[in-house]
Amino acid sequence: MKLKHLLAGVAVIALGALLTACSGGGSKTSSSNNSSGKTLTVWCWDETYNTKAMQDAIASYKKANGKQKVKIVTMAQDDIVQKLNTGLASGNNKGLPNIVLIEDYRIQGYLTSYPDAFSDLSNIVKKDDFSSYKVAAGTKGGKRYGVPFDSGVAGLFYRTDILKKAGYSDADMQNITWDKFVQIAKDVKSKTGTYMMTQDPSDLGLLRIMMQSAGSWYYKSNGKTVNLANNQVLKDGLKVYKELMTDGTVEKVSGWDAGVAAVQKGKVATAPTGSWYSSTIQGAKDQSGKWRIAPIPRLSGDDSVNASSIGGAGWYVLKGSGNVAGAKDFLKKTFASDPKLMNTIAKDIGAVASLKSALKQPNYQAEYPFYSNQKVFNDLLTWAKKVPEVNYGSGTYQIEDVLKDPVSAIVKGANVDSTLKDAQTQAEAAVKNQ
Amino acid sequence: MMRKKSHWGLIGEYVFLTIIAIISVFPFYFMIVGMTSTSQNIVAGSLAFGGELFKNFQNLFSNNLGFVRALGNSAWIAVIQTILALFISSLAGYGFVIYHTKLSNRVFNTLLLSMMVPFAALMIPLYRMFSALSNTPFEIFGINTFASVILPSVATAFLIFFFRQNAKAFPISLVEAARMDGMSEFNIFTHIYMPSSKNTYAAAAIITFMNSWNNYLWPLVVLQSDDKRTIPLVLSAMGASYTPDYGMMMCGIVISTLPTAILFFFLQRQFVQGMLGSVK
Amino acid sequence: MKDNLARRKNRMGWGFFSPSVILISVMVFIPMIYALFTSFMAGPPVNMHWVGLQNYQAMFSDKTFLTAASNTFLYLIVQVPIMLFLAMIISVMLNDNRLKFRGLYRTAIFLPCITSLVSYSLIMKTIFAPTGIANKLLMDVHLIGAPIQWLTDPFWAKVLIIISITWRWTGYNMIFFLSGLQNIDTEIYEAAEIDGASRWKQFTRITIPMLKPIILFTAITSTIGTLQLFDEVNNITKGGPGNATTTLSQYIYNLSYKYTPNFGYATAISFVVVIAIVVLSLIQLKAGGEDK
Repeated sequence: MKLKHLLAGVAVIALGALLTACSGGGSKTSSSNNSSGKTLTVWCWDETYNTKAMQDAIASYKKANGKQKVKIVTMAQDDIVQKLNTGLASGNNKGLPNIVLIEDYRIQGYLTSYPDAFSDLSNIVKKDDFSSYKVAAGTKGGKRYGVPFDSGVAGLFYRTDILKKAGYSDADMQNITWDKFVQIAKDVKSKTGTYMMTQDPSDLGLLRIMMQSAGSWYYKSNGKTVNLANNQVLKDGLKVYKELMTDGTVEKVSGWDAGVAAVQKGKVATAPTGSWYSSTIQGAKDQSGKWRIAPIPRLSGDDSVNASSIGGAGWYVLKGSGNVAGAKDFLKKTFASDPKLMNTIAKDIGAVASLKSALKQPNYQAEYPFYSNQKVFNDLLTWAKKVPEVNYGSGTYQIEDVLKDPVSAIVKGANVDSTLKDAQTQAEAAVKNQ
Repeated sequence: MMRKKSHWGLIGEYVFLTIIAIISVFPFYFMIVGMTSTSQNIVAGSLAFGGELFKNFQNLFSNNLGFVRALGNSAWIAVIQTILALFISSLAGYGFVIYHTKLSNRVFNTLLLSMMVPFAALMIPLYRMFSALSNTPFEIFGINTFASVILPSVATAFLIFFFRQNAKAFPISLVEAARMDGMSEFNIFTHIYMPSSKNTYAAAAIITFMNSWNNYLWPLVVLQSDDKRTIPLVLSAMGASYTPDYGMMMCGIVISTLPTAILFFFLQRQFVQGMLGSVK
Repeated sequence: MKDNLARRKNRMGWGFFSPSVILISVMVFIPMIYALFTSFMAGPPVNMHWVGLQNYQAMFSDKTFLTAASNTFLYLIVQVPIMLFLAMIISVMLNDNRLKFRGLYRTAIFLPCITSLVSYSLIMKTIFAPTGIANKLLMDVHLIGAPIQWLTDPFWAKVLIIISITWRWTGYNMIFFLSGLQNIDTEIYEAAEIDGASRWKQFTRITIPMLKPIILFTAITSTIGTLQLFDEVNNITKGGPGNATTTLSQYIYNLSYKYTPNFGYATAISFVVVIAIVVLSLIQLKAGGEDK
């Protein structure tokens, strides 16, 4: 008897609790999602990086418009991608943010899949104010949809002490070719025993850096035609990549953390990567004064320059979430125009701006003891101006996943032309339905 | 006739189980060490305790990701979901065995189909359904409510299957005897079956609570406002950084695994042999 | 007479299982039908059009799909039997009344499956790094001469995934066996003991036959779990090196969310997974003598 009552009681309580939990939630939802509501919601990833930059922007915007409330929700990038896709695909804008951070490699895909979802920001984003390749990333059909944020400008981070032991001075590292880099790598390994760099065999970032330095990509410039089989730049890049992966100068790792650990333990001499890596490297405080940054190497031939990019993101405004004017005004007065904000952000998170006018700011002209008193911000932003524009298209990650096995086959000795031809067919099939 | 080697057998069991237990627990040791370490040491795989415990905890509770609120949200959801799921699914699992007919068997087989579809394929239509409830009287079940997180997991073929398989060992004679005494069918379920199946309920409760507690994909999509986020969502947000603070995360992870571990420790006591015999 | 009984049984039965039937129909079957339609469509998510069987045909020439499918089946064939056997052995031992500290042992062995994915993958990567503990141990006992590249070699990465899944899910399956063992009457063992049956004989002649429903349950659910395997690969190897460890579920996820969404193709693959699971489950049900 008792048990029956107990059970009934438990069931009633559970149902009751469910209902109250829901109704509480329900009422809150309707108020916070009111599209005419003033509060702007921002989605971005990385608490210590993008969120911090956004907080700086909110603080500086307060002076212009004290009434506007802006709320940040920090999520993992994958989570943002998934929530955006689910929301936009189901045609229900409820709960989506006003402003969202999207990676440069992904934005073309969004603009293609959801053509009406994003607000045209052409009138607040002045083309000449930013590094041109950053503007190109968020442009489709002549309309500029994105406010460029952090520059993924690439640099060759290197350990001055290790390279000196291998017989290379700072001057020797400036504006080199990848062939020279391979040569240096051999000397570093044989003279100091240290690996030149780490490389994750599943991460083709290095090839992306090489391609963009010559204005080439997995796509032709229309962003639609897959460009693998007859891509001379890619072939030249693969030649370098294969050499690096097979001559014993590169430590193979798996995953981001392993690469970070190798750098922080002092197990590698260089890291050719994006400017955003700076804060990670500076985590190794005991290596202060031992690092410098040189321009990223170029490919010999192919009109390749000593400037490229990897990663980086921009801010976008979702039309369906209401208060578009408020969101635009916010971005216009912060990320789209304010060099002082870029100065603050440089100090707080070490991000290199895409806004050219940031160059004159004090933090950009400062010398950094960690980097042997190099004016790193000044240098990186200067190189950013030279990065060639490419059209990332809508399937960069998908093509890259198709390309991973062919690339490792090439490293193992497969014929480059036929392997790439095969990969081209696969990639074309993969992106056909986008 | 007693077993001759039973003594040695027992020692063998101890050795084997101890090895398995150490392998199983090792990562927990790593996590507890991690609570006291810096991010760098954790990534480097250091197994020695550091002195960062206080700082890591401070970071965990001072950042604005809302770890404590997420603990509360997760607990709410997991408890309600476990109670509802156990009741409804055991009802069905028991029903499929006791009232076994050709038709009910077909119904059961059809239900099994429901656990074979990868959830990723169902997510968008499901999301559409829940979002269609917005601005209707059923909004209390719509997206961004706890109900929307719980409802899809209340009746699962997995649990029904589990209860059904266990109910098969339940002696039907007990049911028939109770019927003779004039007990109603529902009362037989609650008074005879449930008390004698504590072991099954214990296992089901552990699994359901754990699944709910760790559920990631669906809550991520359906919960919109950050004050409703559950633990896995907050941990995911913490980890997604160019330089994740693993020390802080380890503190969060250890705290977030405790409820399931404690629940398991208490419920596993139900796994005592001969439970059925005692009812007879 | 017989018909009457069946009808009465059905009527009472519905009282018990209709809440579940209704809930599952709404929460799974309706979305499933919707997904089935999607699997015949292609194009941008907000503007999809009918393409017939094109998505299903595309799989045959899609190397990523074929790799993912063969990986998934490899995991299934190698890992599930090992894990279930291990779980069963452990459960039987942990059911021994003479054993002390059973609660502690059980909790310890259960712990892996509640470890958060973040720490789990971090730990696995650390242990199996080239200079990690696993290689050190193996080299100390001279099983290997040079460190194994667990994470970057296509073969060893698969082994690592199998080790990882086994580590994480053995304790989980143990719970079902432990709970199932309680349904076996102790008197049967006592009788067998009097007859002088060895422990191994008791295990094969009593425990296994009596556990059959649970063995079937764990076999089917593990098959489903493996065919939908996502977390381990996505967190430990990211499917790499290359696509050497990727699974069907990871590919479905990537097609839906990592890449520019191609929901039509993703759901088509989902239904291929469903068909594979149905076939495998039917085989297992048949082998488990479950037709009655």
